Amino acid sequence: MKTLASAFAALLTMSAFLVTSGTLAQDKTIKIAGFGAKSGVVRSFGINSEAAMLAAAEVINQRGGITLADGSKARIAVDYYDDRCTAEEGISVIRRIAGTDAVVAVGPTCSNVAEPLFGILQKKVGDAGDSGLQFPIFTDVAIKGGLAKISEWAFRNVPSEMTMYASLFEWLKTKHPDAQSVYGGVEEDFAHSRATWYSVMKTRAEASGYKVLGESKWLLNDTNFATQAREMKRANADVVALSAHPFTTCGVLKEMQRQGVKPKVLVGLTSSSSLETLQGCATQAESMIIPTSYAPINEQAKFAATQTAKFKGTADLHSMAAWENMFILKQVMEAEKISGDKSQLTVDRRKIRDGLAKLKATDGLIGITKREEREAEKPYVFVVATKGEWKVLYDPSKM
Amino acid sequence: MLDLLQAAADGVLFGATYSLIGIGFTLVFGVMQKLNLAYAAASIGGAYAGLLILHVLRGAPASAVFFCAFLAGGVLGYVVYVTCFHVLPLSHPLASLMATVGMLLLIDEVIVHTTAGMPQNYPALFEDVMLPLGSLTVRGDLLLVFGVSVLGMIALLLLLYRSRLGLATRAVAQQPVAAQLCGIRVARVNAMTFVITGLLGGLAGAMIGASVGTLSPLISTPLTTKGLIVTVIGGLGSIPGAILAGLLVGGLENVFQLYRGVTERDLYVMLLLFAFLVVRPGGLFAPSGGRR
Repeated sequence: MKTLASAFAALLTMSAFLVTSGTLAQDKTIKIAGFGAKSGVVRSFGINSEAAMLAAAEVINQRGGITLADGSKARIAVDYYDDRCTAEEGISVIRRIAGTDAVVAVGPTCSNVAEPLFGILQKKVGDAGDSGLQFPIFTDVAIKGGLAKISEWAFRNVPSEMTMYASLFEWLKTKHPDAQSVYGGVEEDFAHSRATWYSVMKTRAEASGYKVLGESKWLLNDTNFATQAREMKRANADVVALSAHPFTTCGVLKEMQRQGVKPKVLVGLTSSSSLETLQGCATQAESMIIPTSYAPINEQAKFAATQTAKFKGTADLHSMAAWENMFILKQVMEAEKISGDKSQLTVDRRKIRDGLAKLKATDGLIGITKREEREAEKPYVFVVATKGEWKVLYDPSKM
Repeated sequence: MLDLLQAAADGVLFGATYSLIGIGFTLVFGVMQKLNLAYAAASIGGAYAGLLILHVLRGAPASAVFFCAFLAGGVLGYVVYVTCFHVLPLSHPLASLMATVGMLLLIDEVIVHTTAGMPQNYPALFEDVMLPLGSLTVRGDLLLVFGVSVLGMIALLLLLYRSRLGLATRAVAQQPVAAQLCGIRVARVNAMTFVITGLLGGLAGAMIGASVGTLSPLISTPLTTKGLIVTVIGGLGSIPGAILAGLLVGGLENVFQLYRGVTERDLYVMLLLFAFLVVRPGGLFAPSGGRR
């Protein structure tokens, strides 16, 4: 009996030790800051990215957290900040984040925030004459091409629109050989939409042999698209490519329907391959084709979406980039052996920057992302709006 | 020439939505000599509230959405009155003005937080109808908006000139102290003015949602600007002026866009406002003098 009691006591002590050591395994906390729009008209981006980051952190912590330089384990904590998609708020937020014990930041939402914000970072690492902010930023959403060139502290995990649209127009050539002409529609006052039409869609369409007949222009908060739809009708192009965000995309699509503009193919902006477009105009968006870097095409992509939904977020190309960023950062922090000590914060931040800079390829939810010059070239698929859902139309990786 | 006429026709009809907002601005100004900058936001808020019926009754007809928007607009109008005018000293004009700016931002932010900023599909009263008018085509739904603007104007004028409430409203507008001495409850009349403009605003918001086809918080600030321009050009306090100015601004805006492009369009609208302020500061229908 005495032996049994001793064995039971030993078992209890051992269990207690295991529980305690489990806690001790993650007694340090590594803070990762997220920032994006949690208010204003693109609030959904911030909500979804925050949910994805929190979900990814939970999964990482459940799997044991991060291994630090001394072999101990640390858990990840995420603090998310609102930049309202305005440059001044974004700059203010990143300065606040740099003043905390966060080792790296994931964000921002908008290209018009990322561009000036990257401008306040130190341009070249180690340049003693440059007093710019020395803090690594890993963007999940801001998609305008080439932004990481601004500073060596800036990194991106967003798709390359140039690659995606080049591939899309080439693919359209094979699928719709009768389509010869393209007409554009562009949100003229939005940095991303404008850059995507003039520098990406238009040039890639021409490179694929399409005749570009022109473009109609409108502003981000316009409500009347009658003139633009008439221009489209008059152009009578085979392909209409809309470089606009969901609100005006929907407005234009509805006006096109009223005026009977029916192109053979309808192409949309990457950022519009989200729930917003379907919520605003599922019927009119039917059969619109958009290249995107996320679709729930495999188990891990579905798992990420399910986990994100637990934090009331939606999986899309933006939020799933934030999910991926968390796992990439875990990998980098472990490879670079960060200490996790508050006293070594500056050193750890530099290690993370250097680690991110070394990456040539990273695992993504739908495939391997190639990395060069701090920019990403993510795998992509073409999705098509079908009965209120985005369905995968074509997966180039399977060819 | 045909392009010009078509652009003008498109713009004039869409200008009916500006007229509806202008009427609300001008009525409050006519009665209280105050600007309610939250009016367009409250109208859009009413339109959003109208969509709530679709969550309660799936498949509810568009008319039910419009009716709910109408009622919600009235409630919001009253809320704006109580928070921005009733509890604030009216002798400090800036206090109520800034309060309405705050209310505009608050309503916008409530919408953004409720919908996560996502555009919402808005039902139309009838399917897309394009009516041929010679070589031109005009949108049937915008003709309806235009009709509602005119009916709204007639109803408001009847209310103002053929009812006891209208008599009291005009008395308060002309001489609030004397009206109070005559036994008119000024606060009640002011509150009723906000409720009535709110009801009209809710309907206007629903009309705008239906004519655009989609609602977004992006709409409220430009509508506020257009509503103010329309109110000033039409003549502060003049309901027919607001209607005419709405159609004028809508038409010219589209013509400017046709000839000068979308990026210069608003510049010319502002120049139009500037021209009016210089040449005819009282607007198209400047009140003959004093408060109306």
